[in-house]
Order: sequence, then C-alpha cells, then structure tokens
Amino acid sequence: MAWQTGGRGRGEPPPVEGVIWQKLREWGQSLRRWGLGKSIGIGIGIVAVIWLLSGIYIVNPGEVAVVRQFGKEVAQVGPGLNYHIPGPIQSKSSVNMEQIRRAEIGYRTVKVLRGPTKHEPRLVEALMLTGDENIADIQVLVQYRVKDASEFLFKVKDPEQALRAATEVALRGVIGSTTIDDAMTVGRPRVEAETRDFLQRLLDNYQSGLQVVEVKLQVVDAPDAVKDAFHEVVRALEDRDRLMREAEGYAADLVPKSRGNAEMEIKAAEAYKEARVRQAQGDAAKFLEVLEEYQKAKDVTRERLYLEAIERILAETEIFIIDPQSAGGNLLPLLPLKEMMELEKPERTLDKYRDDGKLFRR
Amino acid sequence: MKIWTVVIGVIVALVLLNQSVFMIDETKQVVITQMGEYKRTIDKPGLNIKIPFIQTTHPFEKRVLVSDAPPADYLTLDKKRLVVDSYTRWQIVDSIQFYKTVKNELGAKARIDGIVFSELRRELAAHDFKEIIGVQREPIMETVAHRASKIVTEFGIEIIDVRIKRVDLPKEVQASVFARMEAERQRIAKKYRAEGEEQARIIRAQADKEATIILADAYKESRTLRGEGDAKAVVIYAAALEQDLEFYSFLRTLEAYEKFLSDETTLVLGTDSELFKYLESAKPAK
Repeated sequence: MAWQTGGRGRGEPPPVEGVIWQKLREWGQSLRRWGLGKSIGIGIGIVAVIWLLSGIYIVNPGEVAVVRQFGKEVAQVGPGLNYHIPGPIQSKSSVNMEQIRRAEIGYRTVKVLRGPTKHEPRLVEALMLTGDENIADIQVLVQYRVKDASEFLFKVKDPEQALRAATEVALRGVIGSTTIDDAMTVGRPRVEAETRDFLQRLLDNYQSGLQVVEVKLQVVDAPDAVKDAFHEVVRALEDRDRLMREAEGYAADLVPKSRGNAEMEIKAAEAYKEARVRQAQGDAAKFLEVLEEYQKAKDVTRERLYLEAIERILAETEIFIIDPQSAGGNLLPLLPLKEMMELEKPERTLDKYRDDGKLFRR
Repeated sequence: MKIWTVVIGVIVALVLLNQSVFMIDETKQVVITQMGEYKRTIDKPGLNIKIPFIQTTHPFEKRVLVSDAPPADYLTLDKKRLVVDSYTRWQIVDSIQFYKTVKNELGAKARIDGIVFSELRRELAAHDFKEIIGVQREPIMETVAHRASKIVTEFGIEIIDVRIKRVDLPKEVQASVFARMEAERQRIAKKYRAEGEEQARIIRAQADKEATIILADAYKESRTLRGEGDAKAVVIYAAALEQDLEFYSFLRTLEAYEKFLSDETTLVLGTDSELFKYLESAKPAK
C-alpha cells in the first residue's frame, strides 16, 4: 500500500514488498477463479510426474549401477535404460567394471599443453632400499579394475588411495628381499608377480573390491647419484666381451695359418721323399751304365777315369813337387808353405750346392 | 484460513517424519541415544524408526578407514636410524565404545597413531636393519598390528593391519650408501674386465697350443716322410752298387778328390809319386 503513503513523490516506483504483495493477491484471485483444489491438484500432479521421471537413468556399457533403497543395497543393474524410484527413497551409483584403471607409483604422466605426455619421476615414492642395502629407483604401473561394485563402493573409504598405498607396501616388501642386481635384470618378472600377489592379498583383506590386472615395472634403475658407476659395470661387461672376441679373433687367425704351415711342411717332405727316390734311381742307373762300360775294358777305363779326374783336380790346384831324397824324407821343415811364399790363404767357402753335374749328390 | 491449517499440518508431519524415520547407508552404522543415554546400535542399512525428539542418532563410518601418520625416525637393534612411513587400516566395530572414548575419527586417528608409533618403535628396536627391510618386514608388521589391536579394543576399534609403506635411510646416511654402492659397482666392473682378460688368455693359450701341436704333428709326419725317402734311396743305391763295390769305391774316391781338392788347395807331391812316373822317364812303371 505504498502508493497510499503520501511522503513519496509521484514519479518514484512502488517499494518492492508492495509489488510482491500485489502479485500474490492477483495469483490468489486467479486461483479462486480456477478453483483452489483443482489448482493444487494439478501443481502436485506436475511435480509428482517430474519427480517420478527423474528416476529414469541409463547404465553405460561396462558399467554396473548399484541401487540403494533408504541406504540399503537392493539391486545391481547392468547396461541399458533403467528406472529406480527417485530419491530420497532410492538412489544409484554407477561403477565402471570393465575400465582398466591405472595407478602410477614413483612417477606421474603429466600432460603438457600441445606436446607429448611427460614422464615425471617422484623420488619419494621411487627410491627404495633393496635386500642388499642398496637404494634403487623403481617406478611401477599398476593396472586394475573393479571386480565387486558393492565392495568397491561401501567397504573401504577411498579404495583407490588404498590401492596406491598398498602397492607401495607390496613393492617395497618384495624389493626389500631382492638384490639390486636381481631386480634390475632377471628378477623383474618375479618382482612383478610377487608384488601383484602381495598387493591382491592386501586389497582382498581390505575388501576393496579391486582386482589387480597387472603390475608392470616401468623403470628399475640406480639412483642418479650412482648411475655412472652402474654404467661403468655395463661398459666393463662390454669390455669383457670385447677381450674375449679379440682373443677368439687371434685364435681364428692363428690356427688356420698353422694348419697351412703344417700342410706346407708335409708337402715339402713328400716332395723330398719323391725326389730322393728318383735321384737314387737316377744315380743308380748312371752307375750301372758306367759299370757296364767298365766291365768291357776294366783296366783301360779305370786308368782313363783316374787320369781324367786327376787332370781336372790338378788343373785347379797349386802343386809343390818335392824330391823326397833332397828333403830327407821329411816334409815338415817346409811347412807352412803359404806363409813362406807370403801368400794369403783365402777363406774356404763350403758351397754344398755347387755339386751339380757330379756323379753323386749327398 | 483453512489453507494455512493444511500447510502447518504438512510441516508438522514432515518434521515428525524427519525426527522418527531415518536412513542408514551401506557405509554407515548408527548409535541411538535417548537423552544422552545409550539405547542401541544399528549397523544394518535401510529405513529405521526412533522416538522423535528424545532420541538422537549418531552416525559412524562402517568402512575400512586409514590412518597415515607422517614418517618418523626409529632406531634399530643394530643402532641404525631409519625413517619409516607406515599406515594403519582400521574399522569401528563397537560404535558406542568408540563414541564414548574417542568421539570421532579425528580423535581415533590421534590415538591409533600414537599407539602404532610406540609399538612400532618397540618392535623395530628388537630387529636388525637388514631384517626390517627384508624377510622380517611382514612378521614385524603383524606383531605391531596384533599388539596395537589389543590396546585399541577399548576404543571400539579393530585394527586390520599396520603396514610399513616406506623404510628409508636418513638423508645423511644415503650419501654413504651411495658411496658404498659405487665402490661395489667398481669392484664388479673390475671383476668383469679381469674375467674378460682371463678368458682371453685362456683362448689365446688354447690357440697357441693347437697351433704348436699342429706344427709338431706336421714335423713328425715330415720327418717320417723324409726318412722313408732316404731309406728307399739307400735300398736303391745298395742294389746298384752291389754289382761292383770296388769300382764304386774307386769312382766315388775320385769324385771326392775333385770335391775337396779345389783351386784353394795346395798339394805337395813327391817326385816318386805314381803321377810323376813319366815325369823323368817314359819307361813303363815296374
């Protein structure tokens, strides 16, 4: 009734509360025109329909919807179009049962704006003590899924956080009884399997409703501080192989060459043998030829051969002819003849190959 | 005026309904008190009724809860310092006891952390460092959980397990561990290189041995062959020379003269030598 109070100017708008009151009165009048009961009935009807319709829901493929009535689980519904009595009587929670979920321990995959995902280590989680009191940098990826929707929803507070913590427990427990070398090399599958079993045991114990699909060691490495020393070991391994290969190369070179030399030696010996036989045969044949001629005229031939030989010899030799009577039968005082004649005696060289054309060869 | 009666009636009815009927979720359990006095505990989910106004509901978690205390320093039996991060999983099993003693989860966590810490300290102090990080880890955790569980029963709490999440060395000790690891790696590297050298030497020696044997075998065979050749030659010579040994001797001697009497030889001959029988006269020798 603002317009009845005289204190205000004519051009001023009516106060807000006045407007609301006005509207309510108008609404009341129209209600009266329609009939009060009828109006309320229609209103409630519309609200009721909307309320009832709000219970329609769709369960996506792979999901399970758990329906609770006054807080108590009454049904699990598979994929498709479904209906539940709307809240507060019934409510539903959907859980994706087929999705493979991932938990990264020791690192995080970080999405970088316009670029490939980045692998960012978390050292607090990654560094752990091994059984031989070394420190290893281990990063692991756990893949898991929900195996029991109601356990997953109702049994553990924050089951996925529980899984992260349990993974650390399991992994560190297993690594704690493994040597660093084992974990870094051949022991990997064993570490993965044992961690998975341990983790599953913990998760079942908490009734988390989670199923571990795979535990995969992403990185098993030495901490940055000692990485160089570990690389040095790898280099040493390479060196070891290299030394062995080199030695094998030496062997591969030496042995065949030796075989070749051996074969050469044998072939030479075979050649010698054959040659020796043939030379002997040749010498024998020549002797027999000469002998045949000799037997025809023994004395003549003998004398001739002797003189021919002596001629050849004496033609090249220095000769001193001494009368034994004048020397008194003693030649000694005449020696040495060469020095007496101031003659140098040249070195006598022994040339064993200079016997070509001679009768016999030794 | 009739409409207002209806509205008020509806409101009163709703309030009464709200006060007397209540829902218990799957994850909850409820304690009902009447004027501050414990009446009953309901842990079945669903719809329940209580007397309005004079009875009050106190909901508690029924799920497994976690208490993750911050990492703390512990001393082992062999006097090594360790930083241990553990968590405790627990559950409210007796809600009224829980309500009476620790009131809420926050209070419970504080109590649990304290108890687990002291039990863990006691247990870790009874074991060597090596056992804690290795084989004894699970038994230790079980013992701690068992002991702590006994103590927290009075709070209406059950401890499901106590787990050591991380066992780390204090920062200052890490450096010396790294130094030891480095020394260890250097040892292994040296060993590998020495092994390589060892293998290489064995391989070389083996090769040398093979080569020597091959050559020796060849020598043996070669000598045998040469011997055979010589032997055959001897037989052949013998067969031929047998014919006239004296003539052979004569020929061979002449040949020998020719060989050792060269131009460097000085020969001293007497005038009475057979060779000079015609030097002084042409008469035939006697």
